[in-house]
Amino acid sequence: MTLLKARDISVTDGRDRLVQPLSLTLRPGRALTILGESGSGKSLLAQAILGTLPKGLHASGELHVDDVALDPARPRGNRALWGRLIAVLPQEPWLALDPLMRAGRQVEETHRMVAGSADARAATARDLSELGLSGAGARWPWQLSGGMAQRLAFAAARAGGAPITVADEPTKGLDADRRDDVLALLQRGLRDGGGLLTITHDLDLARGLGGDIIVIRDGCAIEQGEAAKVLADPSHPYTRRLIEADPARWPPRKPSVPGAALLRARDLVVSRGGRALTGPQDIDLHRGEVMGIQGPSGCGKSSLGNALLGLLPVAGSVWRDPSLPKVAFQKLWQDPVAAFPRRLRLGQGIDDLVALHRLDASEVAPLMARLALRSELLDRLPAEVSGGELQRLALLRALLLKPAFLFADEPTSRLDPVTQAETFDLLTGIARERDMAMMIVSHDASLLRASCDRVLRLPDQPPAR
Amino acid sequence: MRGLTGILAFRLAQAAGVALVVGVMSFLMIQAMPGDAAYRIAAARYGYDMVSSQAADAVRAELNLDAGALAQFGGWIADLLRFDLGRSVVSGEPVAHEIAHQLGATLHLSVVALLIALLIGPPLGVLAGLRAGGLLDRVLLVAAAGLRAMPQFLLGLVLIVALAVEAGLLPSAGHGRAAHVVLPALTLALGLAAGSARIARDLMAGIAASQHYAFARMKGLSDGQVLRHHGLRNIAAPLLTYLGLQFVFLAEGVVVVETIFGWPGIGHALIHAVFHRDVPMVQGTALVMGLGFVVLNALIDLAAGRIDPRGVTA
Repeated sequence: MTLLKARDISVTDGRDRLVQPLSLTLRPGRALTILGESGSGKSLLAQAILGTLPKGLHASGELHVDDVALDPARPRGNRALWGRLIAVLPQEPWLALDPLMRAGRQVEETHRMVAGSADARAATARDLSELGLSGAGARWPWQLSGGMAQRLAFAAARAGGAPITVADEPTKGLDADRRDDVLALLQRGLRDGGGLLTITHDLDLARGLGGDIIVIRDGCAIEQGEAAKVLADPSHPYTRRLIEADPARWPPRKPSVPGAALLRARDLVVSRGGRALTGPQDIDLHRGEVMGIQGPSGCGKSSLGNALLGLLPVAGSVWRDPSLPKVAFQKLWQDPVAAFPRRLRLGQGIDDLVALHRLDASEVAPLMARLALRSELLDRLPAEVSGGELQRLALLRALLLKPAFLFADEPTSRLDPVTQAETFDLLTGIARERDMAMMIVSHDASLLRASCDRVLRLPDQPPAR
Repeated sequence: MRGLTGILAFRLAQAAGVALVVGVMSFLMIQAMPGDAAYRIAAARYGYDMVSSQAADAVRAELNLDAGALAQFGGWIADLLRFDLGRSVVSGEPVAHEIAHQLGATLHLSVVALLIALLIGPPLGVLAGLRAGGLLDRVLLVAAAGLRAMPQFLLGLVLIVALAVEAGLLPSAGHGRAAHVVLPALTLALGLAAGSARIARDLMAGIAASQHYAFARMKGLSDGQVLRHHGLRNIAAPLLTYLGLQFVFLAEGVVVVETIFGWPGIGHALIHAVFHRDVPMVQGTALVMGLGFVVLNALIDLAAGRIDPRGVTA
């Protein structure tokens, strides 16, 4: 028995084929995971099946859902699937929930208006208690924690009774705990005999889901088969690279030789909104050292770094080598897209930086070459380069100021694994070349273990009210 | 808890500030006008033909105009602290009495204008916003920009010529019958609708492109259900706030439109009071309009807070 059968689905933008003909089948209780990096076309494939391709893109092929034949070239008909046959999980649950509707109502309305449930209220109460959300129904979405919002969105999407679930990058930017929550949610749907199509670059998620995997690159399926087999013994070189990019498999770091003292904090307490986020910390950092800060989201990792940079007021004392200029202490931001002005050419930003700090403009080209950045990228807008390139441009911007200390706040949490591995290789390599100290914030323990001299673990904090 | 009490205290302080500024400004502006106030007031009382220097001197003596500007202003403030707006120097009637009478006519006109504007503006804006970039959206942009840019005295005249003189459908001016309110209200409403349609369009386009709107559709809700449950409420709070700001436009429009159509309201009275140097009337009228603006916006803030509780409870 099959829930969904797609044959020779392809996507074009009128000129180029972005997804080569690809076939897939969803069976009850068995997960299918499409694995690939950003830009590989994996999301387009899902959108072609759902009928949500952006304007200007066209799909073709054959699609059967629950014995209903649909034409991917005419996506209008796919709307009948939404909620009733296919539940679509949102990528960012906080943004997917209506901020002005109480949590329970968002599930209840699906029960009432989509499933036609006679007692939508009781069905909602049942859903919420199953997901550990009883009592949260009267709250507003912005009063929920990230994990609660995730579970609520899951309940709202599936309340229509759809047998198939489609999840596009459900773990993007999540820390390990939240990722496990998502995995548990997706497995819950499978246990009920549903079908599951997951699009991700997250190997741990793919491993946890099991079932089958299709690896996709440049719009082509390059490898498919049972998850356990593909992940343990990949046949295609790209799949191997993808798996090698897992931080748990990175070669261990050669310890650095600490140089002169650079930064010293004593009894440092970081607080937000009058609440202490970290207990008193003593931190010493020397030139060339790489230190990791690990902890779940909201525990004060970023605030700690900002405090060391002097961007936040703190209790305790922070000493930064006074012989260095203020700009020698730099920060690499988490979301490169948010760290660049949207409508300003990238080259303009670099030119402005050179002019503002009277830098040597001839240093830009060699540094770009070192960061594997092509010079024509400077003519583009931030939206026109890949996430990895943009983060390397952010790194270029910071390195031009010759920092002695770089605070990297989740620098690769929005990048796919291969790009993450490349970026980290660059970061640690450059820190060594320039005798630069680094502090790297991450939720990923194995990533920090592989790239830092030592790791400071911050304890979990109850979510801010 | 900085809830209702805080908001009310803030608004009360704001009202006091508005009263002071409005009083000082209208007083200074009247003082700065050329000509002898005594002659103007005498002309208003007895008619232009009857004005003589004798009559003017009598007015001057009666109203103690020589006492100086500061004394007059001090008297007004002292009265105000006793909630007394004084008497009109032209009619001799209490200002509060006159305003209460005119305010009714103005409220009648404003409410009709607002209702027409609400029926035209936001619905068209929402439709245009749902299909941003579509034909309706583009037509509406041009129409709204044109209507908003056209001064009200011109729009009023155009409507008089088209609907009253040429088509003969409506009376061109006057007050008393129900039909009299249509043309002035329409003149006010078109300008108001042009503004609110643009705001509603931008809000709706933003919401329609939001992730939560897309998610509601993916849940399986129909377009109508998504709009009713996830669209309208989300645009309501900012739209309401904008409508509150539009009262400035309405107050300004009332002055012009009432004068064109001979509508016996507060705006009409204000023009006459300015013309006749009736300082207590000018101050009283401006004060009522200013305080009305504060009260309305306080109410709108409370309503918007109920619709969108973010920021209130935070």
